[in-house]
Amino acid sequence: MIKVKQLCKAFDGLQVLKNISMEINKSEVVVLIGASGSGKSTLLRCLNFLEIKDSGEIEISGQVIDTKKTNLNKVREDMGMVFQHFNLFPHMTVLANVIEAPIHIKKKSKQTAIDQAMDILQKVGLADKAHHYPEQLSGGQKQRVAIARALAMEPAVMLFDEPTSALDPELVGEVLETMKNLAREGMTMVIVTHEMGFAREVADRVIMLADGNIIEDGHPSVFFTDPKEERTRRFLQQVL
Amino acid sequence: MNSITSMISIFQTHGFEFLKATLTTVQLTAVSLLIAMIIGLVFAFFKVSNIFVLEKLADTYIFLVRGMPLIVQLMFLYYGISSVFVLSDFTAGAIALGIHSGAYIAEIFRGAIQSIDRGQMEAARSLGMPYSLSMRRIILPQAFKRAVPSLGNQFIIGLKDSSLVAYIAVTELFNHALSAQAENYMPFETYFVVGIYYLILVLIFTLIFNRIEARLDVSKGRKRRGGKRFDQGKTAVQSV
Ligand SMILES: Nc1ncnc2c1ncn2[C@@H]1O[C@H](COP(=O)(O)OP(=O)(O)O)[C@@H](O)[C@H]1O
Ligand SMILES: [Mg+2]
Repeated sequence: MIKVKQLCKAFDGLQVLKNISMEINKSEVVVLIGASGSGKSTLLRCLNFLEIKDSGEIEISGQVIDTKKTNLNKVREDMGMVFQHFNLFPHMTVLANVIEAPIHIKKKSKQTAIDQAMDILQKVGLADKAHHYPEQLSGGQKQRVAIARALAMEPAVMLFDEPTSALDPELVGEVLETMKNLAREGMTMVIVTHEMGFAREVADRVIMLADGNIIEDGHPSVFFTDPKEERTRRFLQQVL
Repeated sequence: MNSITSMISIFQTHGFEFLKATLTTVQLTAVSLLIAMIIGLVFAFFKVSNIFVLEKLADTYIFLVRGMPLIVQLMFLYYGISSVFVLSDFTAGAIALGIHSGAYIAEIFRGAIQSIDRGQMEAARSLGMPYSLSMRRIILPQAFKRAVPSLGNQFIIGLKDSSLVAYIAVTELFNHALSAQAENYMPFETYFVVGIYYLILVLIFTLIFNRIEARLDVSKGRKRRGGKRFDQGKTAVQSV
């Protein structure tokens, strides 16, 4: 599904990603962990080209993406992204948030888009909030709308950047539940999170990032109980 | 006492002409501000384009307009424009005023666009929306709302600045005052009366803008729609 080879990315001299290589298979749920500033967000944002890599190769669904020649908008249509701070469009209702891209990008008729949006909102448990404005929702509800908005484009992959980090503790569960359902349906997911319980339960693989390198990559049963690297061990001690 | 009777007599002799001239002032202001809004929007886009040449072009334009007294620009542009194109004094004056206000409005729009959270553009782009569509559908509606108070202020300045075209023979309000006081030898009283006309115009402008602001105010807007939302669920969607 996604193949990354020797990906490098620097910000004004600061080498954030150093030779990252990894592969994400279809229907796989991969959790990305690492200390703050280790480059998790940057890696995720390189995958949908919100950040443009300096060097290396990114292959998506069998197509090597040339950032100069490929239409990146088309690539992004196929990759949903969920942000830490939701980034819902505040001037639009929940429903309008969800149908915006399907109508303007996929050129769906308004009625088709609305019908599909309502189905997805139903799935994330927010059909009754369709005509509310984002401001009227709790953090957990906002994030579920953000997930619905991304799903409405029928993406092949979903990227999550700390989707629960901005939430009050009692609201984390409902968002994780929504994500679990997605995983169960076979969605390919790359998730940056500090929710280790969730990772243990849902992830097929956990990847540990440190200083711009992947230092550990394994099944959660091994990763959490018997990590190979001393740095992983120390990091897990801190967060568990 | 003497002055007051003089003012009343000025009202009686010139009141109607002043009213007609007021109409010209309003038309001049409206046309010049329309031009200024278009110029302002274009140069604001230049400023946020990240394209060096366009940014410098916008900087230069804003520098020139801000760096010279309006009356100098007016004369310069008026003679410049009328030497190339055959235009009425009104049109030439409106264009000159528009070019002047445009620089300030460009700065207002630029500030408003840049004040919108980066996450909004990123969310739109992550859905596959191209830059221009994201601007039009997501950023500008929010920026516009935020720009309204400053725009109102700039519109009032534009209204008052329009008095300077009296010196390029447009017979608007101030031009009438100039000729009236030359006839009646009562400059103090004449300018006082004309001042009242301007005050009333500005008052009307202010009231209109206050209404627009109240209408756009997110929380108030929602309350109004709130009553309809549950029984006429579709209204919010239809406005999308
Ligand atoms: N747009 C940017 N410009 C400059 N530096 C950045 C930018 N984005 C991230 N960084 C830097 O890159 C490093 C990694 O950031 P990030 O990928 O956000 O880490 P994480 O998500 O793991 O906390 C940090 O030191 C951060 O300051
Ligand atoms: Mg991050």
